[in-house]
Amino acid sequence: MSLEQFKNRQTGTQNYILLDLEHAPKTSMEQFKRVIKRGVSLELFVGLGVTFKAMVKALFAKEMHTTKYPFEKLPISPRYRAIHDMLRLLESGNYRCIGCGLCEKICISNCISMDTRYDENQRKEVSEYTINFGRCIFCGYCAEVCPELAIVHGGRYETASEQRASYSLFEDMLTPIDKLSLQQEYDGFGAISPNADENIKKTPLAY
Amino acid sequence: METTTMIGQLPEVTYAGVIIKAIIILAVISAVAGFGTYVERKVLAFMQRRLGPMHVGPFGLLQIAADGIKLFTKEDIVPQHANRFIFMVAPVITAATAFIALAGVPVFPDFVIPQEVPLLGGIFVPSIASDVNVGILIVIGMMAAGLYGPLLAGMAQANKWGIIGAARTAIQFLSYEVVTGLSILAPIMIVGSLSFVEFNNYQGEHEVWLVFYQPVAFVLFLIAGFAETNRTPFDLLEHEAEIISGYATEYSGMRWGMFFIGEYANMITISVIASMVFLGGYNDLWIFPAALMIVLKIAFFFFLMLWVRASWPHIRPDQLMWLCWKVLMPIGVINMLITGIAVMLVLE
Amino acid sequence: MSELQSIEKMISIKIDGVEYQAKEGEYILNAARANNIFIPAICYLTRCSPTLACRICLVEADGKQVYSCNSKVKEGMEITIDTPNILQERRAIMEVYDVNHPLQCGVCDKSGACELQNYTLELKVDSQSYAIPDTTREVKNWSSVLHYDPGLCIVCERCATVCKDIVGDAAIDTAKRGGAELDKNYKETMPKDAYAMWNKLQKSVIAPTNGTEFTNCSDCGECIAVCPVGALTSRDFVYKSNAWELKRIPAVSAHSSDGFQIYYEVKHTSIADREEKIYRVTNEWNYVSLDGAARFAYDFENRGVSKNKTAFDATIEAFQKAKTIRFNSVITNEEALMLQTLKEKKGIKLYNLEVRAFQKFLRYYQNASGRSLYTTDNDEIMKQSDFVIAVGVSLRNDAPGMKYAFNNVQKLNKGAGLYFHTIEDTLVSGFGKSVESFVHKVGLEEAVFYLILDLFADKTKLPQALKSYIDSFKTSQTKIIQEKVDKTIKEMVKDEKTGEEKEVTKKVKETIEKQITVERNGLLELLGGDSEKFAESFKKMVNKKEHFSMMVGEDLYYHPKAENIAKLIALIEATTSIDVVMNPPKANALGVALICDLDDEASGYTIGYNELGDFRLSALGDGDLDMPAMNQQEGTFTTLSKRVVPTNAALSYDGYELGDIVKVLIDAPSQTIEWTAMLPEEKGYRAVEFDSLPNEYFNDGSENRGYLLDETSMEVALPEVSQIDMSSVLEGEIVYRCNPARQFSDFTDKSHEIFEPFGLYASEAKVATLGEKVEVVFGEKSIVLDVIVDHKMKGEIMKLSDFKYAQNVYELFAESRYKNVTIKKV
Repeated sequence: MSLEQFKNRQTGTQNYILLDLEHAPKTSMEQFKRVIKRGVSLELFVGLGVTFKAMVKALFAKEMHTTKYPFEKLPISPRYRAIHDMLRLLESGNYRCIGCGLCEKICISNCISMDTRYDENQRKEVSEYTINFGRCIFCGYCAEVCPELAIVHGGRYETASEQRASYSLFEDMLTPIDKLSLQQEYDGFGAISPNADENIKKTPLAY
Repeated sequence: METTTMIGQLPEVTYAGVIIKAIIILAVISAVAGFGTYVERKVLAFMQRRLGPMHVGPFGLLQIAADGIKLFTKEDIVPQHANRFIFMVAPVITAATAFIALAGVPVFPDFVIPQEVPLLGGIFVPSIASDVNVGILIVIGMMAAGLYGPLLAGMAQANKWGIIGAARTAIQFLSYEVVTGLSILAPIMIVGSLSFVEFNNYQGEHEVWLVFYQPVAFVLFLIAGFAETNRTPFDLLEHEAEIISGYATEYSGMRWGMFFIGEYANMITISVIASMVFLGGYNDLWIFPAALMIVLKIAFFFFLMLWVRASWPHIRPDQLMWLCWKVLMPIGVINMLITGIAVMLVLE
Repeated sequence: MSELQSIEKMISIKIDGVEYQAKEGEYILNAARANNIFIPAICYLTRCSPTLACRICLVEADGKQVYSCNSKVKEGMEITIDTPNILQERRAIMEVYDVNHPLQCGVCDKSGACELQNYTLELKVDSQSYAIPDTTREVKNWSSVLHYDPGLCIVCERCATVCKDIVGDAAIDTAKRGGAELDKNYKETMPKDAYAMWNKLQKSVIAPTNGTEFTNCSDCGECIAVCPVGALTSRDFVYKSNAWELKRIPAVSAHSSDGFQIYYEVKHTSIADREEKIYRVTNEWNYVSLDGAARFAYDFENRGVSKNKTAFDATIEAFQKAKTIRFNSVITNEEALMLQTLKEKKGIKLYNLEVRAFQKFLRYYQNASGRSLYTTDNDEIMKQSDFVIAVGVSLRNDAPGMKYAFNNVQKLNKGAGLYFHTIEDTLVSGFGKSVESFVHKVGLEEAVFYLILDLFADKTKLPQALKSYIDSFKTSQTKIIQEKVDKTIKEMVKDEKTGEEKEVTKKVKETIEKQITVERNGLLELLGGDSEKFAESFKKMVNKKEHFSMMVGEDLYYHPKAENIAKLIALIEATTSIDVVMNPPKANALGVALICDLDDEASGYTIGYNELGDFRLSALGDGDLDMPAMNQQEGTFTTLSKRVVPTNAALSYDGYELGDIVKVLIDAPSQTIEWTAMLPEEKGYRAVEFDSLPNEYFNDGSENRGYLLDETSMEVALPEVSQIDMSSVLEGEIVYRCNPARQFSDFTDKSHEIFEPFGLYASEAKVATLGEKVEVVFGEKSIVLDVIVDHKMKGEIMKLSDFKYAQNVYELFAESRYKNVTIKKV
């Protein structure tokens, strides 16, 4: 009875390709033969051909792979967790943050801190908000817990700065008011699921 | 001999002409060597689908200037336990031998400085700084002497990587000197002269490139040339993955730069020799003028070195020795014997 | 208390099939709570009367649905907490509470510590079936501390209940909201109780009772504490911090002598300033109610102090040459013991004007009664007493705990009360219908006690001479009064049809003149009462009353005949069933009185500890050496309830403490709390380590804080009392040394949520004659004061604050609390 099926230990769905490697020459004769074979079949020139083709394609077929990084940036995944952004309400331009403090509470590296106050419009106002990016581990819990989709992870992954205070304040993370129209809805951690509407139970409303 | 008659046809070579030629060689080859680094980086980049230097000057052309400024302005460091004098002298040996080798190589066609130029007007500048009738011998000899640069540098710097680099220098250069000599002996036998001008004239007269008479010798010479100039796949002297930077480990600034210039000058020398000896020298070809042809040929060899570097892996030192002594040298000897017999039969 | 429990009869009840013990006469809800069983309830407050606003505490008792907050347990009662019908009702009630409740939990100051949220989740409300149009309800600031958001209010009436039943101010109550009418269909479709509750809820909102926008109350903030949602908050705290960020530090209120248990809630000041500060004070509001000082006077800490070696060396030098230490009652037991030890070892005099009179009075009482301490306390009065008498204590100003107890007895124990004071207080007389207030002349306190003896004493126990002295005040008088009498008339009526004669009885009202003998009580009239009316109302007041208690206060300690009064109190305790509680003036006065051996005179070089002196130690930050304030210290207090309770440091303090000084002067332990176990056992203290003192309340409301002082008593003969000394009666312009309700010391004054100014408080009528500013002349000395209206007092006597040590008011008054003065307009 053949046990082939048990000997095939390539489980799973990976499509491995088994390489048919030639044996290393053992005797000097074999070695000599290999030298002759490789020399005559001009394998070395295949290598030269590959590189030359690559050069031609790079120069003339727009297959240049370089991204001139600081001037050119590749788009990142929406689920990427970089420096936080504070979003505004699209219609009014007010901040979405209501100062509930959940992000501060859930933060496992304890790096979020906020001060709130009772403002002139009888609302809770975030008077100070800061994230210590020296401590932040970009776990995304804050974005996930935020009930207002106010704090989200943005695309700023360049976390080098001349001083730690840079971009750790509310104003630095907040969408500039003149760029409100460019504000992107975040669909990463903590975003509303696509079927959110279906999950809501209807409540009778009398107004 | 024949050469004297040729010189007789040309204006007299003066000391001033030779000095001017030497200065031109130094300046031009240094510049070309520098430019070579730029070309190397660009070519390697393209072959790896990258852009290479882009930011200094248009297309990164001024990168060499930036590198030059950097190298010149770097602190000159001599390691604590190094043999100070030899350490400082070694790069000079490399650079000097590389340029001295170029003295026997025709670099540009002859020309006379126009009369309008004050002081120097009317001076004849020869194509070869020193057209001795043993040019090839001088060139090969000087290149062999260049072995002292890396060897002394590696030994003087009190660094184990340097020592290994120096040891590799000794074996590699000495071994491949044999192959170079053997391979170039066959064309010499055909032409019957050691003068590059004779080689050029021979191929011009016969309207044939020697590579067709001596393909084996050409291949051997090229392989040996790669080894002599310390290029991939034979760049074991400063094999980064194994011995950091080999003999150049402790060098920085302009001293390191001199090794670099020496290496590139040697690459040019080898390219020139290969072009002169095997690919017809500076003779016209169809509609192409001689000057363009020689530049194209040199450029091709230079490019070939970069191309090979981009394509092929390094080999191990033992493979290098195996290749030299068990493959190339026997072939070289056999090739020489056959050539000798053939020449004897043809001349008879 | 343990004595009390054994007296109470325990019965057994079954809750959900399990048998439990419960006190007879207790509400089902309380019985369940005491046995650690959960019955949902929103509107009910322990120690208050049931409101029946939420109706969620519905249970089934012996097959009938009852509200567990107002049905009492019976022997063998079988209670089921959840039946399908009840669960349906409860769920409907919670759904109704959630109708139109703003979804602003994210910013709400309850920050999740919300009963509405908890019960909504507890009852698994996951959908809403009811709806009604919402009404606009504006946010209001009721006073300088109260902030009310009616949008969040669920009208459980807990605030109104606590204000009425415990605090006594009755400053807020439900008012009309003007909400939309409920849809008629709901009446049929909804569960009954939920509909009834909604109907009421939809119409009401909470508002000040005086008809204005502002409460005129004592600003105690108890309504804030009991609010189950975020509707009522302290104005200062609104949107300042989430509850979960605050660290709760159990402590003792450092202002009144009640020693209320409080929690200081601390957090870092701001993002930039990481030093902790106190954000608010909270309490176990089911078991203890705070006064305004305890709740709002919390930020009196001595900030930014570091160890100043030079000042410390100067202090040691000062102590070496000191003859007297002057201090007050804002001091822990441990510090008091340190000072006493200094006195014993170094012979330094201890001078304390706040406590000295009380200490003397307590000694007179001890000598006269043989007891080491008075017999009851406020908690016990609240639990069982149904008749309270207050003498010589300005309930509203001096003793918040007594005020609450006095009021609670009226409201909850269906009790009665007698209030004897020199100043008419409109608030106290409004505590209940059975409260009788007497406004007597200054100095007549002895007469009050003779009257109490007359009214309550077992005459057989009284010595003959005393009995006849009391009787000498009584006179008989004949008086003709007109009385309506029901007269029964018999008549023979002839039936016209049958011609039969029938005897018919008719009732006819007739006015007759009657001669009666009226007993006139001279004592009563001396105190400003009307003997005729009083005799009748008193009969009603004492009807079916079982537990009598008496509160006495500071007026008596400063009375010229204090010793005689103490003897009278002892006599009353011996011959009547009245228990007595004394109000130690301020903070830890009882502790100081017990631990320290105070001197009458200060002499020589004086060190003032939070007081005036040649060299000053101060926790107010203005002395020669800084001291930690009470919220920066650990130690124990001796409270009015005769309990030694621990307090903890809420804020850090880096400077020197009194212990450091004492350590240099004499051989002493290194830590202040090591003194706790050394407190004098002969005074009732126990050798218990500070760290082993408990600080909690149990579910049944019993207090497990620290330990009770051990009391001793011995048989003594009845004290010899002297007759009423009319010479101590004061007439004319009188000032009374008395603080506004939330002020006790410089520490309360320093706190930013306390606004009552230092000045001369007087009734509206009196203020009209005084003007804005006056100079009060005490013989040689005088003081210039602002005149402030106290709307709840009447009469001519003025109240002069004493809470600023720098004004040295105690020395102006010398050894009395009332003083004849000359008022000059400024």
